[in-house]
Amino acid sequence: MRRIEENPFSWLLPVAILLGVFYLYPIFDVLRLAFTNASLRGGEEHYTVDSFVALIANPALPDILWTTFVFTAGSVIGQQFFGLGIAVLVMRGERRRLYGMTALRTIVLIAWVIPGIANGLIWQMLFSEAPFGAINSVLRMMSIQPVAWLSDPGIAMISAIVSNVWRGTAFSMIVFYAALKGIDPTLYEAASVDGANGWQRFRFITLPQMRAAILVNSILITIATLNTFDAIISLTGGGPGRATEVLSLYTFNTVFRNLDLAGGSVLSVLMLVISLVLAVGYASFLPRREANE
Amino acid sequence: MRRSLRVALLATVATCFAGAALAQDLITKDRVGPADAPKTLTFRLTGDGPGNTDPAYAEAYKKVFVDFIQKHPGWQIKLERMSDNIGQEQARMLEQAKSGSGPDCAAVDSFVLALFMNAGVLKPLNEYFTQAEIDDLFPFVREGITGKDGKIYAWWWGTDLRVLYRNKDIVPTAPETWEELKAAAIASKDKGMEGVLVNGGRWEGTTFDWLANFWAQGGKLVDENGKPIFAEGENREKFLKAVNYFKDLVDSGAAPKRVATIVNYDEFNAAATAGTTALFIGGNWQLAQLKNTMEPEEFAKWTFSPIPGPTKDQRSTGTGGWTVGAFSNDPEKVALCAAIAKDIYAGPGNEIQQQLPTSKAIFNKYDVFKSEANQAFAAALVDGQARPGVPIYPEISNQIQVMMGDVLTGAKTPEAALDAANAAVQAAYSRL
Repeated sequence: MRRIEENPFSWLLPVAILLGVFYLYPIFDVLRLAFTNASLRGGEEHYTVDSFVALIANPALPDILWTTFVFTAGSVIGQQFFGLGIAVLVMRGERRRLYGMTALRTIVLIAWVIPGIANGLIWQMLFSEAPFGAINSVLRMMSIQPVAWLSDPGIAMISAIVSNVWRGTAFSMIVFYAALKGIDPTLYEAASVDGANGWQRFRFITLPQMRAAILVNSILITIATLNTFDAIISLTGGGPGRATEVLSLYTFNTVFRNLDLAGGSVLSVLMLVISLVLAVGYASFLPRREANE
Repeated sequence: MRRSLRVALLATVATCFAGAALAQDLITKDRVGPADAPKTLTFRLTGDGPGNTDPAYAEAYKKVFVDFIQKHPGWQIKLERMSDNIGQEQARMLEQAKSGSGPDCAAVDSFVLALFMNAGVLKPLNEYFTQAEIDDLFPFVREGITGKDGKIYAWWWGTDLRVLYRNKDIVPTAPETWEELKAAAIASKDKGMEGVLVNGGRWEGTTFDWLANFWAQGGKLVDENGKPIFAEGENREKFLKAVNYFKDLVDSGAAPKRVATIVNYDEFNAAATAGTTALFIGGNWQLAQLKNTMEPEEFAKWTFSPIPGPTKDQRSTGTGGWTVGAFSNDPEKVALCAAIAKDIYAGPGNEIQQQLPTSKAIFNKYDVFKSEANQAFAAALVDGQARPGVPIYPEISNQIQVMMGDVLTGAKTPEAALDAANAAVQAAYSRL
């Protein structure tokens, strides 16, 4: 009787079936629907490329893509920046055996476990422009003019990015914290002997050693941000106007407001292509293993 | 004698407790009826049920549901609660019903009922209602539930309408025209308020509440074939006039710019209770909510009047409400669904939440609808207008929401926003 490790198909099969049913089948079905006139309104379904033509001719698409780019870029940069900053802070605090580092990590993680819808609602209350809105009330107490957090199209996008960064920073922090833990301490000791200051140690040791972590994190949070819609739908609903209507929300609206299943499927395919291109692009920068390793 | 009295008392108390315990067993968070009942009906409902966030309403519904299930032995009703994102929930339910995986019976929002009827997923309910009951419905309700074949496909049990709420201490006289409302709102600002509040964010309420201003001028969204015509000819002028009216409210400071973010009627309740607004356009059901929320002396300051029109003679208000429809292929389940509509909602449900009934018979049956306020709401139904029951309406609404945000924030001129909305709607219509 052959040992199980000599026959990989027997133990790979369940995984392959699960992946096929829950990942590949929906993708194929979305691809199929994209080439139909499928609608939630009913009616005969037939194959056509009209949905692709309609997408290309859609005058709203460039604005939606630009909004998506701004939201994604802002969120990714913010989450990387704050995630790295907090991870470095926690590491340094732990090295110096400062109290409160575990509490700091926990506080950051709390934001991460909050569901997207709840995140949007929390920030909606904070950004409320009603006279009793949380942040504006504080500003008024400090004799500062209240800010149109959600009703000004430009500021609404910044507000959406802030709420997303607040929630997503914890994930980046975990990735960077793990990567920082993995850096050989003798590198820092040698740099100290050579007289390197703090910035030089960060610039020439920490950042290069974390290159893979930063790239992997970039891939993951870019794709996650690109697919974010729950936090935005509860924060702004995509408004005012279309100021915060990112591609994922537009896809959702196409299916669940316009009831256009085929149009939504075309947009889903577009999102899949963008995610794949970004992932491949990022991955190409990942450090390769040497051939003799 | 005293002993027998004690025994009788004890027996009575025990019976009461047993009855209460039995009632508790008959209703849980997601089920009504015995867990081992042989027949099951899935019922998808909104907050209009035992899960209502108001404990008094929830208790009242529980009692009605338990009474109902006791009259239908052998059944259990599995409750599926919808989230507050009604548009999404209804669209998802339509998709499920089309694929045969929807609930047996469900609450269907009146504004999407036409979509469900056109998709052919609802079962006719004529045999469960008498012709007299159907004839007694308000005409717009009867028309709304009747399919092209003349059969009724749901029971529209409660309706509502929008009015202008005002704090009499700050705005003593009811504004009757757009200009009077603007002047009253600006005057209220001088007394520390934030002007008139209206829905202006990305949700159905924005479209529905604003449409009253378009309808008041005689504007039409679609023609008799369901084709969008709101941007053509006279309709275009009326549409722009109504958009410019809202823009002027914001530009003049009569309404705060934040109206472009309002996506919930609860925001009006919050502002009224906090004493930061004296005017808002809301639904009739909010009167009971304000009463429950405010101190009696504060609530006494509030009243309502019809939504102002461009002139005193031009009036309209949006009428909506909920229906109950059946998706099941099982005639027994369809019958039970019709019974839910008839015995739980059309009458008891109206009374519990003071949802306006859809027929004269029920208006006359319950004392609560004889109150001065509810009589006034009923009288205002004369100006009521329902959203057109056409497949393109959800997209028209979506584009009006986008347009309103663009206009109120100054991102686009009303003309440019209307053109963009019309282009998007026509493109969607061409693909229907």
